[in-house]
Amino acid sequence: MTSTILQTKHLFKHFDGVKAVDHLSVSFEKGKITSIIGPNGSGKSTLINLLTGLVPLDAGEVIIAHSLHFTRVKSHEVAGFGLTRTFQDVRLFEQLSVLDNILVVLTERGVFASLFETHGTLHLAQAEEVLKKMGLWEKRHSLAINLSYGQRKLLEIARVLAMTRSARTGRAADIIFFDEPFAGLFPEMRKVVVSVMKELRAEGRTQILVEHNMELIRELSDEVVVLDAGELLAQGVPNEVLAKREVIEAYLGE
Amino acid sequence: MDIVPQLIANSLIAGSIYAILTLGFNLTYSTAKFIDIGFGVETAIGGYSVFYLCKTLGLPLYFGIFLGLFCSGLVSFLAYRFIYKPLRARKASGTVLLIASLGVLTALQALVAILFTSQFQTLSGLIQANRVFELLGGTFTAVQLSIFCTVLILSVLLAFLLKGTLFGKAITAISDDEEVAKIVGINTERVMGEVFFISGMIGGLAGILIGFDTGIEPIMGLSWLLAAVVAAIVGGIGNLYGGLVGAYLLAFAENFGIWKISGEWKMAIAFGLLIIFLVWRPRGLFPR
Repeated sequence: MTSTILQTKHLFKHFDGVKAVDHLSVSFEKGKITSIIGPNGSGKSTLINLLTGLVPLDAGEVIIAHSLHFTRVKSHEVAGFGLTRTFQDVRLFEQLSVLDNILVVLTERGVFASLFETHGTLHLAQAEEVLKKMGLWEKRHSLAINLSYGQRKLLEIARVLAMTRSARTGRAADIIFFDEPFAGLFPEMRKVVVSVMKELRAEGRTQILVEHNMELIRELSDEVVVLDAGELLAQGVPNEVLAKREVIEAYLGE
Repeated sequence: MDIVPQLIANSLIAGSIYAILTLGFNLTYSTAKFIDIGFGVETAIGGYSVFYLCKTLGLPLYFGIFLGLFCSGLVSFLAYRFIYKPLRARKASGTVLLIASLGVLTALQALVAILFTSQFQTLSGLIQANRVFELLGGTFTAVQLSIFCTVLILSVLLAFLLKGTLFGKAITAISDDEEVAKIVGINTERVMGEVFFISGMIGGLAGILIGFDTGIEPIMGLSWLLAAVVAAIVGGIGNLYGGLVGAYLLAFAENFGIWKISGEWKMAIAFGLLIIFLVWRPRGLFPR
């Protein structure tokens, strides 16, 4: 039994006349890991940026859970719809400590309330849980800017995890975009990320993954979406899609 | 008579006013990332609010100061809410926002002049006696001493707000990466509105203190703002504590500069310092 949770209709975006996403209609199934693959410049990152409101759409529609229709996605609203993401070039709050990077996601108070309240023990416990899971608890007092590249990637995933634990924005995150989460990670760090993604799937959350490593794609994906020049080339279960002639041609070149 | 102790005292007093203004200026700069010229007018708003409430209406002084701070905070918040926020939502560049804030300054100082005439006013009549102290050959008044103390208290308060509270962490997150702050669900617009309110109060506080020390006039904002911008750039723009160093450095340069040359050169010294920094150390002493 499957159901669509996120859908695009005739999504269109061009940059200076170059079509980055060209009338793309694609849907993502609830609770599955869907990998988006395609050659460089095929529109994978642009698609994620459009869906999270980082880049405004030129035309088309985004539909969340069949009921919310958007022709404009605003980045300050996406968290309220249960969407969250990581970035290809890791983006953290550099001047905050590792712990605060997580707490600021879990809690936020206005100026007056914040003078009288500190972090609830619940929030500290949640932060401890996600940081321990990512192996960053020992580093909790370092500033994010001082972390190694791999630790930064893990912290970004920890932040996503925190958003799946918190309903502060009205809704805990249940659609997660991972933009190349494995790039540049050591094998043991990769294993941590793989197990986190599998756990999130077991919790019933929808994950959309942009990745180049075919081995990881085969291991993790329930579905694969292939983009080429901003258009949908193929969609389906990994073994079938990855065996298609046109996919191999587009992806591997000549 | 040796003039050096008095020059030091004067530098510390001027530097303290600059420091208060620079704290307020850097607070909005580090979150909203544009040079808010409109911040300057909050000095006149604060000063004239106290002037009107206490001198004209005869309200008690502390009540008047409290309301004056609230008024300047509110004006700053409204400028954000109705001018800067819509422009930022349209992804206006820093230059557009700077020009819009220049408009805010010009319009509001004209409004103050219409309401209170453009005559120079002083608040000093509101306090009975302004005691004069002498220390190591330099003299300063009770008002000037309280200006110096204000810097200390304000710095500690802001440090606590930014490092110790949830609100401060949200401010830091926004100043690091506003886009990501939005995506992780921080209410960036509310936080920024509150930041503008606080910075407006700081500007108003400086204006009130200036009113007690020397005096206020509607067009006072721009020259004080320019001093704050120079101090902020010297200290490393957006860096709150760098700005404090910049403020005192600027004041010492100005006051010791006019030791041997005429006082009209004060502004030239400030901008000379700015040019030196922009050419040789454009990111300031403590870059963020």
